[in-house]
Amino acid sequence: MDLALDAPTRTFIEVSEVWVPENDKLVLAAGNYGSLENFASISGNESFAKGEGLPGKAWAEARPIVLKEFEGSYFKRTEAAHEAGLTSAVAIPVFDGELLNAVLVVLCADDNERTGAIEIWRDKDDALMLEDGYYGAAKHFEWVSKHTHFPRGQGLPGGVWASNTPILMRDLGSGYKFIRSDSAGKAGLTTGLGLPVPTPSGQEYVLTLLSARGTPIARRFEIWDARAAKVGKANEAVLIDGICAREGPLWNEESERRATAWQGLIGRVLGSGVPVVESKVPGLTAGYDSMVALPIHQNGELSHIVAWYV
Amino acid sequence: MNRKKLVVIGAGMASGRALEHLFAAEPHGWDVTLFNAEPRGNYNRIMLSPVLSGEKAFPEIVTHDDAWYEEHGVTCRFGEKVTKIDRAEKTVSGEEGEPVAYDKLLVATGSNPFIIPLPGHDLDGVIAYRDLEDTNAMIDAAAAPGSKAVVIGGGLLGLEAAAGLKLRGMDVTVVHLMGHLMERQLDEAAGYLLRKALLDRGIKVMCSANSKQIIGVDGKVKALMLEDGTELPCDILVMAVGIRPNTGLAAEAGLATGRGIHVDDHMLTSDPDVLAVGECVEHNGAVFGLVAPLYDQAKVVAQTLIGETAHFVPKEVSTKLKVTGCDLFSAGDFEAGEDREDIVFRDPGRGVYKRLILKDNRIIGAVMYGDTADSSWFFGLMKDEQDISEMRETLIFGPAYQGGEPLDPMAAVAALPADAEICGCNGVSKGDIVAAIEGGALDLAAVRAKTKASGSCGTCTGLVEQVLGVTLGDDFVIPAAQSICGCTEHSHEDVRRLIKSQELKSQAAVWQELGWKSKDGCHVCRPAINYYLLADWPLEYRDDPQSRFINERKHANIQKDGTFSVVPRMFGGMTTSDELRAIADAADKYNVPTIHVTGGQRIDLLGVKGEDLPAIWADLNRAGMVSGHAYSKGLRTVKTCVGKEHCRFGTQDSSGLGIKLEQKLWGAWSPHKFKLAVSGCPRNCAEATCKDLGVVCVDSGYQIGVGGAAGMDLRETDALAQVPTEAEAIDVTVAFYQLYRENAKYLDRPYKWIAKVGLDWVKKRVIDDLENRKALIERFELSQTIYQKDPWAEHASERADAYQPLASLNLQAAE
Repeated sequence: MDLALDAPTRTFIEVSEVWVPENDKLVLAAGNYGSLENFASISGNESFAKGEGLPGKAWAEARPIVLKEFEGSYFKRTEAAHEAGLTSAVAIPVFDGELLNAVLVVLCADDNERTGAIEIWRDKDDALMLEDGYYGAAKHFEWVSKHTHFPRGQGLPGGVWASNTPILMRDLGSGYKFIRSDSAGKAGLTTGLGLPVPTPSGQEYVLTLLSARGTPIARRFEIWDARAAKVGKANEAVLIDGICAREGPLWNEESERRATAWQGLIGRVLGSGVPVVESKVPGLTAGYDSMVALPIHQNGELSHIVAWYV
Repeated sequence: MNRKKLVVIGAGMASGRALEHLFAAEPHGWDVTLFNAEPRGNYNRIMLSPVLSGEKAFPEIVTHDDAWYEEHGVTCRFGEKVTKIDRAEKTVSGEEGEPVAYDKLLVATGSNPFIIPLPGHDLDGVIAYRDLEDTNAMIDAAAAPGSKAVVIGGGLLGLEAAAGLKLRGMDVTVVHLMGHLMERQLDEAAGYLLRKALLDRGIKVMCSANSKQIIGVDGKVKALMLEDGTELPCDILVMAVGIRPNTGLAAEAGLATGRGIHVDDHMLTSDPDVLAVGECVEHNGAVFGLVAPLYDQAKVVAQTLIGETAHFVPKEVSTKLKVTGCDLFSAGDFEAGEDREDIVFRDPGRGVYKRLILKDNRIIGAVMYGDTADSSWFFGLMKDEQDISEMRETLIFGPAYQGGEPLDPMAAVAALPADAEICGCNGVSKGDIVAAIEGGALDLAAVRAKTKASGSCGTCTGLVEQVLGVTLGDDFVIPAAQSICGCTEHSHEDVRRLIKSQELKSQAAVWQELGWKSKDGCHVCRPAINYYLLADWPLEYRDDPQSRFINERKHANIQKDGTFSVVPRMFGGMTTSDELRAIADAADKYNVPTIHVTGGQRIDLLGVKGEDLPAIWADLNRAGMVSGHAYSKGLRTVKTCVGKEHCRFGTQDSSGLGIKLEQKLWGAWSPHKFKLAVSGCPRNCAEATCKDLGVVCVDSGYQIGVGGAAGMDLRETDALAQVPTEAEAIDVTVAFYQLYRENAKYLDRPYKWIAKVGLDWVKKRVIDDLENRKALIERFELSQTIYQKDPWAEHASERADAYQPLASLNLQAAE
């Protein structure tokens, strides 16, 4: 299976943090900073008004944002980020209708060895165009992606767009032989998670996380379906797809895995509607060190949760 | 312990599950040799679709890997076809090696995909969808940028293939013979929603499409040609039209076979040492394609092998489609019937349709689209045959109430952009009206005074009220409009508008998107909806005879004694001696008791028996006559006087114009019957001034009046225009008729419709705006390409059987 290998290696994402609104400001609710203690401590003391800094900008503009150059930008923690070797960030606002529940921010360290992709695709002229993306060392793939568009139903972004459902694709490089796939294969990208990012304006965005074997975004991916149309009003979610470097395929047609609100980390996302970032907590699924779980709110309900573990 | 020898032919899901049960019960009791024609062991074949789409990798769907076979001591002969079963010697021979002896043999040869023997079916690139090789062939075909696929078959497998190929980047068209997708699992309403979801994924879907030929170039598939001549270019053609049990080997071995290999309740074939399992078997006349009963069979196989008594009992099965984002569920029997009742729930906003089919207070079928949360609960009630009479009222909402509001027109109005035109007469946009409301115009009269919206024809009154409602919320109470019938809250006007604005092009679309409360309408709404659809979408929609009253279905007026009247068309009220002779001959031949000359200048043959209708029509057709449509909501007659050719007072060729008008308009359906007359001078011998449209010829041209009546209501026509030429008189008539067809409420005669919209509104569109007149004429002519066909000819040649009486049981008993 062409999964991300479970070997000690550096990951593509260095920092994940959740900012939640409190008294007209975004404050830090959770974060995984790894060994970057100084950056963690500065972030803990930070807050962002609407339009301020990267989280505040994602809130104000109500759209996901990629920031690849901190110096001279609106990014507020530039100095600390520089010291920590962090050079790029992606902010994903989590809206429930008009209401902002949280902003998930992930930060990456730029070097020539880490490969992966975090992309934002935007509906324009009846096709998805690349709004922006961070690719690390995958420069050729970045170039190809900028010159690619996806009609509805086509490819990972187009599939997510057409189905309004998160999709987990395997074997990005080997199975798909059109140009972007060929380039993905050459870049070592193996597994792709795509998810819709609803915004109050109705402008449609699709976020994709493309994970490479050597510097994986995650070693375990999960997609949970929480729609009432699927699970009723029980405030539960059912695992509809997932793969894990340690446990193999996570889907099982014959025996359904369910999560209930407030039970476990997925349950916490179900109950709160806010992303969860956890690290170094006992009993984390399959013995992983950290996890991020991101809710998707559509049509007035929490429709899906995607989670990734490293 | 002596291990018994088991040979298994076929390493599919059913035999794999049987082996699991067998090894669990007797871990060391069996020496197993497993033959498989595919070069691999057991994998979850039903998950090939996500492998095709890229949402699973093949290793994920492998059920038994090499280690599993090794652990259980299974001798694997993969990639090797079995050539012979020798039941006398109790051996199985493969393509290679010595025959393998068995104590027990399990035949699990599965099924073969059915390939339609179309010309070209053996071309390179024409494939079935059955195994990993087929899947890989499709993945390879998707590799070329811009490549195209055609999938024949809109069932489960075909649609999963289509979705997978689309995700791979191919341009995909599904060609389906039946009227809606997955017709074996879904009713038309659910099929409509599924089709919509696939169209939204960029997959083209063609239903009621009959494949004729596969076209190739240099031995490679290039296109599929349909019966109607349409060519669908493709680089790969996938046939997913069904499977047939693979019985060849068993039949050669002399085992009893029919559609499949015959097995009893213990899964034993006609030879007690040979068992069979899976898609290759036939049990009590049934064959199997879904996995659930195969797993039940597998359990029985294992129990039979270890000497336990077990019986295979087929259970209800349910269907799910593996296309991400398409949630559907189907189980049981969903055909309509007199002894059955439907409970229907629709939520157009969420794209949800749920239908339960009840018989004797028990659920016998369930079809769901968009919301399948309660499917397991319903399926349980169905399997347990539970009496649901106590919870009938709330049954459809499931174990917990599921809310949902049907789409109301307010939602559509709220979604309109500010520049959307609300009042076409005065060019008033939604933004203008909202600005007026925000400026203090808080009711219809104030908005009308300030913007002129709804001040002319008044057809937009409802819309303006809805804009008021959207803008003012609870502060404005919209006057209730009368709904069409109990199936819906919508008025005729709302439905007509929504059919156009939402592009609803089928009855299923109307029922679903407008939240119809019944499964498929009633005798009140169906004829209206059928008319609105064919008038607005002549190319896309096809007239539904089942939605018509008996006279229109039979193309003749039923009389009070059960016989029919037959009226041939006489264009402009003119006839010939040959036509009269043919009518007289027909009257004699079919013993027509009464012949009457009608007020519309036609000859009515009264008292024709129903079973004689096709024959009398055929006779009249041969004499050059077509149906007079004396029964239809459509053009009836154009009455004329003889005009200036014969009459001393005639000013124009009135009969000539009458013939031309009738030749132009006949065959079209309209909201109600439509009668015309052309008089050659103001003396008005043809009584043109009490018709729906009447032309009175004068020296300077043609006076056209509309909205006359001479029935329950009596009224004279109002002057629409005077035009100088015959050609323009025809244009104005056609444009007026089309305007009426497009806008009037079903069963409103023109005079009633004009009273609602105002004559000025009509004049503006038909007389003043020449571009609009031209567009109306073009749309009418387009519609006539479909509908100007003689129903007599069609029914006499193709549907004559439908007119034959049922057998008389009394007579048979007497004999």
